[in-house]
Amino acid sequence: MNETIEIEVKNLSFYYNGNIRALKSINFVVYKNLVTALIGPSGCGKTTLLRCFNRMHDLYPKNRYEGEIILDGKNILSSDIDLIELRSKIGMVFQKPTPFPMTIFENIAYGLRLRGIKNKTELRDRVEKALKAAALFDEVKDKLNVSATELSGGQQQRLVIARALAVEPEILLFDEPTSALDPISTGKIEELLVELKKTVTIIIVTHNMQQAARISDWTGFMMLGELIEYDKTEKIFTAPAKKLTEEYVTGRFG
Amino acid sequence: MMKTLEELNRIKSLLLQMAASIEASLSDAINALLERDDTLAKRVIVKDKVINSFDVTIDEECIKLIALKQPVASELRFIITAMKITSDMERIGDLCVNICERVLELNREPQLKPYIDLPKMAETVKIMLNEVINAFVDKNLELACEVIKKDDDVDYYLNQINDELLSFMIKDQKTIYRANKITHIAKYLERIADHCVNIAENVIYLVKGKIIRHIEFTEEIC
Repeated sequence: MNETIEIEVKNLSFYYNGNIRALKSINFVVYKNLVTALIGPSGCGKTTLLRCFNRMHDLYPKNRYEGEIILDGKNILSSDIDLIELRSKIGMVFQKPTPFPMTIFENIAYGLRLRGIKNKTELRDRVEKALKAAALFDEVKDKLNVSATELSGGQQQRLVIARALAVEPEILLFDEPTSALDPISTGKIEELLVELKKTVTIIIVTHNMQQAARISDWTGFMMLGELIEYDKTEKIFTAPAKKLTEEYVTGRFG
Repeated sequence: MMKTLEELNRIKSLLLQMAASIEASLSDAINALLERDDTLAKRVIVKDKVINSFDVTIDEECIKLIALKQPVASELRFIITAMKITSDMERIGDLCVNICERVLELNREPQLKPYIDLPKMAETVKIMLNEVINAFVDKNLELACEVIKKDDDVDYYLNQINDELLSFMIKDQKTIYRANKITHIAKYLERIADHCVNIAENVIYLVKGKIIRHIEFTEEIC
């Protein structure tokens, strides 16, 4: 397994509204071109942690970070970081598909135009490449000018993934990307994630423990804002080191 | 569900490599016995480490697949079968080592008598092992049943050999040491045949999803 460090999280704490401590001194590393899953009961802080990576919490001014998240030698939590650039490096896909109310083509071309790509041929090539990478091209190639909202839920989610991929991110964050999808669409997204890790690093938050087991290489188990255990997925699901992890993965609480 | 074909093929390939090692060990052990070949016997004993490492690796791969991929139906049956078959094959490897240990002891003494039934018994066991592996590879129910039926032949040879050796021991006490070693070898071969039967029963479970252990074997099962 490739173990080049992509992101290093050092003593990360996070406070909502200035004083509610949602993350408590978290330390771990995310490896490049692997899938890292964050699991834990509701309210354990896994989504809060995920949203630190692309500074989503900055939307509310009273939220506060402590500690560091190091990417490419820089602390992405420092105030001089360009958030637009950061978010093009670290894309995010949410629980419910969020297509723009535009055509399938425009959903992807939009972000590319924002990044200064105007040439029509290049735009077309990049849109096609992104749709192919998201395993959606064959299903939509004849209806690129149809509204994205006409696609099924699973297709919309893959379109959103294609949109995130189009700007060639280094890292993709997934916040329960399949919890609103049926088992067949879930299977397609899971296969896609395993395929995508060849080119991007993936961090996924999931309520579905079996999903974490199936697709991730490393798994972090969180509870009450703390990272209880972080290890290779195989270890977490066959012989976890901590009793709390054992109890959670065997379904004794949660 | 995630596609598990790649992992299943890897387990199958490891099982086949292990099976090939077991077949070679059994064949070498029998040749070492019939040709009184110390070198060959020692080689089988050393090679057992390789067989043991297959046992561990296959178990690890199966446990990983169960924990991470939640296999169901035929995939689940394949993994459960793989774990059980591996355990039987590992025991066959140990029994080949036991045969060779006795061969080394026998080779320090003059030969008791020309072997007659023992080579026939060994040949039947070799065929059973070969057939049961093929039955597993091809998911061949009929071949698995053939293997189970051949176990009676092996039991017959064991009784013949024991009776003959017993008469040697009664007639001349000096033969007891050697006759006892040969009795052991015949028993090891009979145990190998039993493990082949276990594997055949697991092949039937793999194909039909039905557990046939501990019930009287009838044609209907096949």
